[in-house]
Amino acid sequence: MKLRTTKYFAKEGFNNLSRNKVMSAASITSVIAALLVIGIFFIIMLNIDYAASALESQIEMMVYLDEGLSEETISVMRDEIKSINGVKDILFISKDTALKDMQKKLGDNAYLLEGLESDNPLPNTFIITLKNPQDASSVSLALSSMANIEKVSYGKEDLEKLLKATYVLRMASLLVIVILLFISIFIISNTIKLTVFARRREIGIMKFVGATDWFVRGPFVIEGMLLGVIGGIAATALLGAGYYYCINLVRDQMIGILSITLMPFKQVTMSMTALLLCVGLVIGTIGSLLSVRRFIKV
Amino acid sequence: MIELTNVSKTFQDGHKALNDINMFIDRGEFVFIVGQSGSGKSTLIKLLMKELEPTSGKIVVDGKNITKLKRREIPYLRRSMGVVFQDFRLLQDKTVYENVAFAMQVTEASAREIRRQVPIALSMVGLSKKSGLYPKQLSGGEQQRVSMARAMVNGPSLLIADEPTGNLDPEMSWDIVKMLNEFNQRGTTIIMATHDREIVNGMKKRVIAIENGDIIRDEKRGGYCNEA
Ligand SMILES: Nc1ncnc2c1ncn2[C@@H]1O[C@H](COP(=O)(O)OP(=O)(O)OP(=O)(O)O)[C@@H](O)[C@H]1O
Ligand SMILES: [Mg+2]
Repeated sequence: MKLRTTKYFAKEGFNNLSRNKVMSAASITSVIAALLVIGIFFIIMLNIDYAASALESQIEMMVYLDEGLSEETISVMRDEIKSINGVKDILFISKDTALKDMQKKLGDNAYLLEGLESDNPLPNTFIITLKNPQDASSVSLALSSMANIEKVSYGKEDLEKLLKATYVLRMASLLVIVILLFISIFIISNTIKLTVFARRREIGIMKFVGATDWFVRGPFVIEGMLLGVIGGIAATALLGAGYYYCINLVRDQMIGILSITLMPFKQVTMSMTALLLCVGLVIGTIGSLLSVRRFIKV
Repeated sequence: MIELTNVSKTFQDGHKALNDINMFIDRGEFVFIVGQSGSGKSTLIKLLMKELEPTSGKIVVDGKNITKLKRREIPYLRRSMGVVFQDFRLLQDKTVYENVAFAMQVTEASAREIRRQVPIALSMVGLSKKSGLYPKQLSGGEQQRVSMARAMVNGPSLLIADEPTGNLDPEMSWDIVKMLNEFNQRGTTIIMATHDREIVNGMKKRVIAIENGDIIRDEKRGGYCNEA
């Protein structure tokens, strides 16, 4: 494509955009809405992946013991576990220590645990350090044949639970996203139909003086792309700010007890910006192509 | 230049606008197409521009069978012909100069070519001095001259005019037709559909008369009616 044609498309595209401001604003708003949902979904997915890989490489296993075991039994178990192939180290955390740890972690919010001292629900626990994360399943298998163990928890298992728990969330967001994308495309295409309609005389003239279809289409496609990209930029900015806020919240506030670490801001925003701008561009282009198709046939 | 062989056009509603038309127009001719309202003149012109498809028959323009033209080749056919309409079809928000330049712009001509050709086209129609005005500021005759400059600016070998004088008074009409004659003398083939008896009789050019979709008369130096 020639440079002058590109310039012509850009100029006319911008003109179209400012010609009907209300509809343009409506389109951009709908694009923003759709992209916000996509963006939120995307950020959640990124963080699940992030958490998943953290869990996957985790080399610690928690072994929760049954209630009321004697110190002797515990000590025997300790030796037994230590001899399992792949176990590097073992640490015992008693019920009481576990409670104290939690109180410390909660800090000002420790009052939440008040009254639990007499009837401590936390179990006695072994924390096993593995030689490497691949040993997790074989060690877990060995542990399962032992008595007096209530539950073993380790990264891979948590990971599976995490993925299972988010399955419904992911499917639901996917559905919402598809619907929102269709709505955005529909609104963009209607906005552009208005400009096409306003310029139908001009299009007619272009056609009989020998303009090609894509030359006629060009400005409208640019208009659609602009609607999509402007929506994309706005959505990116909003989500970026929102995510920044979330990171700080998680770092500073009591949510910290959930021991969540969010994916770093920079990593998230870079891929999110790329995604949202691309999606904006694509829905803008599709919307415009849909609207010009009918009018161009002369 | 133009050859129609057994061309018929029946519209979707079953209306037969052209019946088995045969005609040959040579390079450099000046041809009037005459006939009553509804006789099929505009339909014929639309077939030449490929705005309509013939129901049957073959149309050759400039040695090319345009009935077989692919959709993406149509723009190039149209660039080889200039078209002028009764209602001028100018863009009101563009100046005279911009209206003419627009026809070059859409063919992706360079700014240099545009700067060179547009003034030439405007001087051919005697509007050099009005190039900065808007269509609203011009008389009907002048507006039609702008549309003729636009039709000629890409240097077509064929100019088709569908009742170009339909909205003009007799004096202005003569201006337009004389201008068409000038283009013709410089080698452009002219096809003009018209109701204007006086002009047709005065010009003594080839006349093809259509009635109800049939060619009823084709004379080398004809008049509007059959020796009325
Ligand atoms: N799209 C269409 N569908 C159905 N009938 C049509 C269509 N276009 C034209 N016609 C009919 O075909 C006939 C020829 O129309 P055409 O426009 O060619 O006439 P014309 O000779 O140009 O008339 P005028 O001198 O009034 O311009 C008319 O009866 C018209 O009603
Ligand atoms: Mg007509």
